[in-house]
Amino acid sequence: MNDFLSLLPLLIISSGAIILMLLAAFEKSRLETASYLSMGFFAVAFFVQLLVGCGPTIVIFNNVFNGMLAASNFTQAASLIILACGFFTAMTTHSYFKVNHFSSLEFYAIMMFGACGMLLLTLSQELITSFIALEIMSLAIYVLVGYNRSNVKAAEAVLKYLMLGAFAGAFFTMGTALIYGGVKSTKFVEIGAFCAANSATAPLILGGTFFIFVALLFKAAAFPFHAWVVDVYDGASTPVTGFMATALKTAIFTVFANFLAQNSGLHGSWVTFLFYISVLTMFGGNLIAIGQSNLKRMLAASGIVHSGYLLIALVAISTEHFTGSVIAYYLAAYAAGTLGMFAALAYLGGEGEKRCTFDDFKGLAKVRPYSAAAITVFLLSMAGIPPTAGFMGKFYVITSAIAADHMALAILGIVSSILSMWYYLRLIINMYFHKTEDTFETKESVFATACTFILVFCVFAIGIYPIVI
Amino acid sequence: MFAEALFFGFAVLSVLGAIGLVLFRHPMNGAMSLVVTMISLAGLYALLSAKLIFALQLIVYAGAIMSLVLFIIMFLNIQDSDLPTEKGRWLYQLGGIIVILPIASFLIKIVKSIPGSEATIVGSGFGGVKEVGLVLFQDWLLPFEIVSILLLVALVGAVVLAGKRRMGK
Repeated sequence: MNDFLSLLPLLIISSGAIILMLLAAFEKSRLETASYLSMGFFAVAFFVQLLVGCGPTIVIFNNVFNGMLAASNFTQAASLIILACGFFTAMTTHSYFKVNHFSSLEFYAIMMFGACGMLLLTLSQELITSFIALEIMSLAIYVLVGYNRSNVKAAEAVLKYLMLGAFAGAFFTMGTALIYGGVKSTKFVEIGAFCAANSATAPLILGGTFFIFVALLFKAAAFPFHAWVVDVYDGASTPVTGFMATALKTAIFTVFANFLAQNSGLHGSWVTFLFYISVLTMFGGNLIAIGQSNLKRMLAASGIVHSGYLLIALVAISTEHFTGSVIAYYLAAYAAGTLGMFAALAYLGGEGEKRCTFDDFKGLAKVRPYSAAAITVFLLSMAGIPPTAGFMGKFYVITSAIAADHMALAILGIVSSILSMWYYLRLIINMYFHKTEDTFETKESVFATACTFILVFCVFAIGIYPIVI
Repeated sequence: MFAEALFFGFAVLSVLGAIGLVLFRHPMNGAMSLVVTMISLAGLYALLSAKLIFALQLIVYAGAIMSLVLFIIMFLNIQDSDLPTEKGRWLYQLGGIIVILPIASFLIKIVKSIPGSEATIVGSGFGGVKEVGLVLFQDWLLPFEIVSILLLVALVGAVVLAGKRRMGK
């Protein structure tokens, strides 16, 4: 029974996706209905996941699935984040598609399929299952990115993402093959056991994990594989970008941590590698972000920086008592801020996303003080200013790095966090200290506005949560 | 000895086919060289006594999928004049080689480290339909099931991206 309950959110989302897909075939069904339905499914799945709880790690249907899926507190937290991301994205798209008319009903079905792949990815404890889940997620995201067929930028984005994503997938399978060659199994547990019994630096294991890391780092937009992010995030429509930036990253980092935490030898042999990757990711991302004049591009680059912080948390995980709480908390804090930012951009952007640069938002605070305040909260959270969630997230990441004796990494994290103030504060200054040039009219954006303010609440709630508990 | 020669033959052919796919200018030639790769992969599977996979590789990949690809390329009737002029093509290829070289040398190192082992005869049932089916539906049930979602996403996605779209009201 417990097994079934742990799987229930996934089942709700996948059956919801199939229902929406079938609904799309009917002439009479309307886009709004589809968005309400997907909100409903995400909300139900969220509360089911919340109620199920988890406690200790359970292997789901061990006899039937052969230990390929396992749920723990960490995966529960990750799936809560993913489901919330799906819910808020559905809310945002409801308003977004009122002004940008390129959607059809399948949009929501594909989004839910994507969420389904992400949930599977968080649960998976085996490389082939992970690969299939990764591809379900990626395929859905490719389609969402290229959904607006009349937009040349979206076409460019989907082509780039598809090509590079295919490479990442190929690397993942190659890594899986090498690991299977060494371990004779693709299960995380067996890989961990093999590393404990033998050395984690056996050539096949080393090569295999390297290729798997390449694929995961690509999806997480870490340093040498970050080149696609800015263009793809810019080309995709705003709510999709928000979904990609948050839910996808959550799924990737969950499976990354699950894999890495299997064995201390495996983790230990990659610490130096991950150390350099995380430093380069943070500073490379900052460098790119400082040069951007387009908001979505800036947010894409800041997403790279946040991947860097998450990599710090990965370096610092302890394999003996792995809880993943730091990673999950940081992901939740990041997701709240980023999703809110994209929700605000979705309704303030207007038709065809005509407001998209820093200059377009000059003087927003005088015309729409509440929206400007909300954006300010999200930006401060991303920059890591107390009492927002982003601050607590960074605090945990950095203290965990110090606790794991990575002082240099902690200091570099703080330096990078200070550098990132530059581009976050730039938008705040534009909003508050410049003359108004635009009227910022928006129409029919109840849901996106509501979503933005709920997320403002979430930013504070997540920030206060660890103090209260 | 004979099997070893066959292995090298198929291996070289499959790599050559893949290189041809990337380097040929005309899509038709590219597709034909992909057929070479597919068939030589089937040969490699046969050498590993994976009977079912060998047959599937020939029927599905080299047969059905490749004929579909060829059909579409023929349908588009691509002439040499339709192909874009690729300036600086050599430069890109050089760049590609520079990127691939370290990865290739890394892989070669890994492969060299594998201890050699004597080939043994596997049981007569190995790789047959029944054995593969048993493994697939007992040990690998979950991946088998979730592939259905993957295919569904691919199907819906293809319709959405390429098909006629009924705009949302």
